[in-house]
Amino acid sequence: MQTYKAPLRDMRFVLHELHDSAALTHLKGLEDVSPELMDSILEEAAKLAEEVLLPTNAVGDEIGCVLENGVVRTPKGFKEAYDTFRTGGWTSLASDPAYGGQGLPESLNKLVEEMICSANLAFSLYPGLTHGAYQAIASHASDELKDRYLPKMVDGTWSGTMCLTEAHCGTDLGMLRTRAVPQTDGSYLVSGSKIFISAGEHDLTENIIHLVLARLPDAPKGTRGISLFLVPKFIPSADGRPGPRNGVVCTALEHKMGIKGSATCQLLFEDATGWLVGEPNKGLATMFTMMNSERLSVGIQGLGAAETSYQSAVAYARDRIQGRSLSGAKSADKAADPIIVHPDVRRMLLTIRAYTEGCRALGGWVARELDEMERSNDPDARKRAEDFTALMTPVVKALFTDLGFEATNIGMQVYGGHGYIRDHGMEQLVRDARISMIYEGTNGIQALDLVGRKLPQGAGRMLRTFFHPVSEFIEKNSAHPVLGEMVKGFSKAFGALQLATGQVASAGMADPEEAGAAATEYLRLFGLVALGFMWARSAVIAVEKLAKPDADAPFYKAKLTTARFYMERILPQVGGLLVAIKAGKGAMMEMDEAAF
Amino acid sequence: MVATIRKVGVIGAGTMGAGIAAQVANAGVPVVLLDIVPNGANNRNALAEGAVARLRKAEPAAFMHDGAARLVETGNLDDDLGKLADCDWIVEAVLERTDIKQALYRRLEAVRRPGSAISSNTSTIGLKVLTEGMGEAFRRDFLITHFFNPPRYMRLLEIVSGPETAAETVAVVAGFADVALGKSVVRCEDSPGFIANRLGIYWLQLALIEAIDQGLTVEEADAIVGPPMGIPKTGVFGLMDLVGVDLGPQVHASMRGVLPKSDAFHAIDQDVPLIGRMIAQGLTGRKGKGGFYRLDRSGGGRSMLAIDLKTGDYRPERKPVLPEITAAGRDLRALLSAPTKAGTYAFRVLAQTIAYAATLIPEAAGSIADIDEAMRLGYAWRWGPFELADKLGSAWLVERLTAEGMTVPPLLADAADKSFYRLEGARRQYLGADGTYRDLVRAPGVVLLEDVKLASKPVLRNGSASLWDIGDGVVCFEFTSKSNSLDDKTIALLGRSIELVKQKYKALVIYNEGSNFSLGANLGLALFAANIAAWGEIDKALATGQQTYKALKYAPFPVVAAPAGMALGGGCEIVLHADAVQAHAETYIGLVECGVGLIPGWGGCGEMLTRWKAEPKLPRGPMPAPAKVFETVSVADVSKSAHQAIEKKFLRPTDGISMNRDRLLADAKKRALAMVDGYVPPKPPEFVLPGPAGRVGLNAAAEGFHRRGMATDHDLVVADALAEVLCGGDTDIIDTVTEQQMLDLERAAFMRLVRTAPTLARIEFTLETGKPLRN
Repeated sequence: MQTYKAPLRDMRFVLHELHDSAALTHLKGLEDVSPELMDSILEEAAKLAEEVLLPTNAVGDEIGCVLENGVVRTPKGFKEAYDTFRTGGWTSLASDPAYGGQGLPESLNKLVEEMICSANLAFSLYPGLTHGAYQAIASHASDELKDRYLPKMVDGTWSGTMCLTEAHCGTDLGMLRTRAVPQTDGSYLVSGSKIFISAGEHDLTENIIHLVLARLPDAPKGTRGISLFLVPKFIPSADGRPGPRNGVVCTALEHKMGIKGSATCQLLFEDATGWLVGEPNKGLATMFTMMNSERLSVGIQGLGAAETSYQSAVAYARDRIQGRSLSGAKSADKAADPIIVHPDVRRMLLTIRAYTEGCRALGGWVARELDEMERSNDPDARKRAEDFTALMTPVVKALFTDLGFEATNIGMQVYGGHGYIRDHGMEQLVRDARISMIYEGTNGIQALDLVGRKLPQGAGRMLRTFFHPVSEFIEKNSAHPVLGEMVKGFSKAFGALQLATGQVASAGMADPEEAGAAATEYLRLFGLVALGFMWARSAVIAVEKLAKPDADAPFYKAKLTTARFYMERILPQVGGLLVAIKAGKGAMMEMDEAAF
Repeated sequence: MVATIRKVGVIGAGTMGAGIAAQVANAGVPVVLLDIVPNGANNRNALAEGAVARLRKAEPAAFMHDGAARLVETGNLDDDLGKLADCDWIVEAVLERTDIKQALYRRLEAVRRPGSAISSNTSTIGLKVLTEGMGEAFRRDFLITHFFNPPRYMRLLEIVSGPETAAETVAVVAGFADVALGKSVVRCEDSPGFIANRLGIYWLQLALIEAIDQGLTVEEADAIVGPPMGIPKTGVFGLMDLVGVDLGPQVHASMRGVLPKSDAFHAIDQDVPLIGRMIAQGLTGRKGKGGFYRLDRSGGGRSMLAIDLKTGDYRPERKPVLPEITAAGRDLRALLSAPTKAGTYAFRVLAQTIAYAATLIPEAAGSIADIDEAMRLGYAWRWGPFELADKLGSAWLVERLTAEGMTVPPLLADAADKSFYRLEGARRQYLGADGTYRDLVRAPGVVLLEDVKLASKPVLRNGSASLWDIGDGVVCFEFTSKSNSLDDKTIALLGRSIELVKQKYKALVIYNEGSNFSLGANLGLALFAANIAAWGEIDKALATGQQTYKALKYAPFPVVAAPAGMALGGGCEIVLHADAVQAHAETYIGLVECGVGLIPGWGGCGEMLTRWKAEPKLPRGPMPAPAKVFETVSVADVSKSAHQAIEKKFLRPTDGISMNRDRLLADAKKRALAMVDGYVPPKPPEFVLPGPAGRVGLNAAAEGFHRRGMATDHDLVVADALAEVLCGGDTDIIDTVTEQQMLDLERAAFMRLVRTAPTLARIEFTLETGKPLRN
């Protein structure tokens, strides 16, 4: 059985203790957002996730979406869950109050997103895509479009999509073919076909607002000739109600490995009426404005699935009895000991836990900087936050989804054969998590983004926002009375990251293929050190708290132990990664193409 | 004829005459500058005096130091002709009119010393015309010396001698121009426009009319007939704006009358209506109200406009999009072959320019090497036309010219199966007009590292530096990195070189033939290291640099640094650690670290203190020397010449200055060899410094600047770090500070600064823009 209780204690730790939520009130628009308010919202979100969304998860996977006569039906229970979700105000959490949103910080929103993903990853895509489309429209569309569409998208009556991919182009959008022809009234007629469109057609909302990348008639070739258009499924009438059906139809549903409750559509646009969002030929930039936030959200999908897998695996490991502890029977009254006594089972459980709590902490840091970037009054702080989030976006996207998938796999392993059969939902988590490594820019593309764009920018200026805090932490804590040894170990891993960074930068400057060859390992190394930093900081806080008698001792003790596990058992992988990075492109580029 | 030139007369105090006088003075030779008495003037010397006043303020500077200006004696042609009596060389730079020039020559004949040289700086009148009807003595002593503007900075000097000019007169003037004035002399035939302008005028006109024909924008034309061809980025239209749009019609008119009918110039000598309109509207270029480009200051902003070649109207400058340039990369032939209008333009301009150059032998020039040299030095082309022809391949060029129905001159046709230059063993050779190869011969006494490198293998080498054996037991340490920036590899090879010289050689010269000696430590690497918090690495690089420079200073053999161009930061510090310096006159040297929020970290602070401490003119006590160094270093002061570097103590009064860039290495080697016998390394200095009290004093000065808005917040932080080092940290005036203690202080202060965000912002800004950030 999929077991999920929102990890509220750890979320509060990340939000308040690690990233100092109290300081959020210094940011524009967050003056009244107190830690207490955020706690109560988290508790409400937990109820929603546990009681409304989780029950639809397995059934959604079993039934999936169905296309009949151009109409897509979501799985049983999704519509009801969505209505509860919408009426509870969850679609408007982080949206602008000007359009009816609640204006809450990303620091909080990303934690709520995690809960939704843990409970039902497929479901999370509907509001997730709407929020992405909302951000693009809010940042770039005309006031008229904003006023007409945003309130309905914020309150969840209408949903949104992002239509980028076509059959022949995904990563390389410069090749896309969908066309937009200007009309005398200022609108455009959009024609072309798109694939892999999440939430492209469904029965959850009364209207669907597509954001479509297309070319204008005189557009230059390549990525500089792409514009962004808003194309509604129903063209709203003057009073704001859905009017005539527009020229967009769902021609097929993709048959997928996972996230079956999410309607992944092929869409055909035939002279569909649309309106330009942002400047002509700047569509990619317009679409990618909210990229940092979107990619962090996809990373959080990996984390969300991992958390459910962890909780389910722990429950099973306590319950399932097989064999005896190697140090002698622990449950003499039973035929066997619960498998949680075995070192290898503990290794598996602690690995997932170290991943999830580490990722939650790191995701919290990035979300916090997103708030800083959007809302700080200090331009230097905004610039720093922009650098930091730009740097960390590819890291969190790829790392969280790689580790998320690995975690669900481990969770399934804990179940043995019972994980592989469908009854317990463990294999669903594996299948659902797998897509997050692919969409929103494959993890290989993330790695290239990191080494090719983020790392060399301004002779490494973006790196400063991560490396300097880490270096200062090490200097401050290397003589820590309790954690000195741990910090020393972490400092060695950081040294490996510094070496690898220098190596990738210098080799990559001379030969871009060298950077490309090192990219994936480098991103992993970077990510492991970033998690290490979160664990080291968490450990320092835990030691401080444990020194006080009234502390929540079991929580902090577990924190400290998991930190130790991470530092001793996972972080040392950076050594091997460094060796691989140093080896360079030699073998992989030497292989004759015909020999593959 | 006199054997050497000890005094020079210059007649005509216009831009060229005055500039020539200044350069003579820069060489330390007295010069008399005369011009006419202006009508109704109170001051009869007004023209010459006005010229000197303008020279003093010229930007870029005409005088290398204040003392040079004092060597210019001014006067007028009515009262002061007698001042020319003891001149060994008289340069005429008056109006371009034969009658005026000849009338002047006749007056000079009455006063000048027998055997003195007379030359004209004419650019348009032939020697035959100028000497017509003149006496035999005049014709024996007369030649044309054609300088380029500005005379201090342009290295080309075209010399034309007549059939009757005494060979020794030419030799003495050419020798003086070479050694004292630092010019590269190219001998020309007595033909219109000589070499550089003859070809330059043709090229500019061709590029102008072809751009109009092909429908290119000025930006596109300048991007094509520019850097891809090794031509400065001013290209064609930018250059016309620089020299004056109105100059074209004037020189065309003069060329039209004197060039033979068969000359290809006539085929492109057509009236361009746009030019006429521009001149009529006062759009004569930078000196006028704008030219092909115009800086628009309306509305308080600064934006560049460019002219539309079709309409003659201004529009915002547009960065040209020319994928064929990117695609061709360094393959010039690919650019000229591109089937686009840019490719066609590149081909039509360059191919016809090369073809025209090939018609200039023997009429204007004696050899292709002379033409190439003239274009490199007179028009700042990176490659001359025949070097460009070699890049394209003569055979390909001939084939394309033929296919396009263009004329292929015999010289080019004959070269179709060979290259214009070749390497014969270690000797560079050029193709003579008779089809045989001849050695390129350097002037006597010129040693170029370029030649040494062709003839030998480096003694040591890594990715950033090389060590070359330049004979007689002397080795030359050369920086080879981009911009000759210094990194850990440079320092490592320097360390290895020191050890090797100890064992096997007598002396070390530090020299290179880049456009700048060194811009200092590689800031990109330093910034990257700082960004990834690699503090240990940075500290190590500092310590290694300090120890290596120290080892250089105390090495048991003489070290001579021979900088030219910019020697900044770490590049300046290596010069400071040499036993002696032989500097090119055009050396711009300074400790500029404060500009990027740092302080000198490789021993520069201590070396500058030592120099000021030894200055007898300073008041006694521990404070004056740190104050002087602080004054120079805190504002990142850079000397504008080698002479000025002596005043600022980056160089010692005993250091040598070479006027001719090509003689620098030979001069440095000679200086090094002269020091070998009895060489004793310097004694380590000890400092008595004012300590914290001095630091407070220097900070007070910096705060004064800050209050007046002349120093920023971060300037104060940097100044304080510098003050701390220069005052010896926590020392007391009863203590002595050792050299190593100074180095340690320097390093600690540097490390503190490199960790601050404003310093990193400065470094990043400077790397990206080349300008300082005033944060």
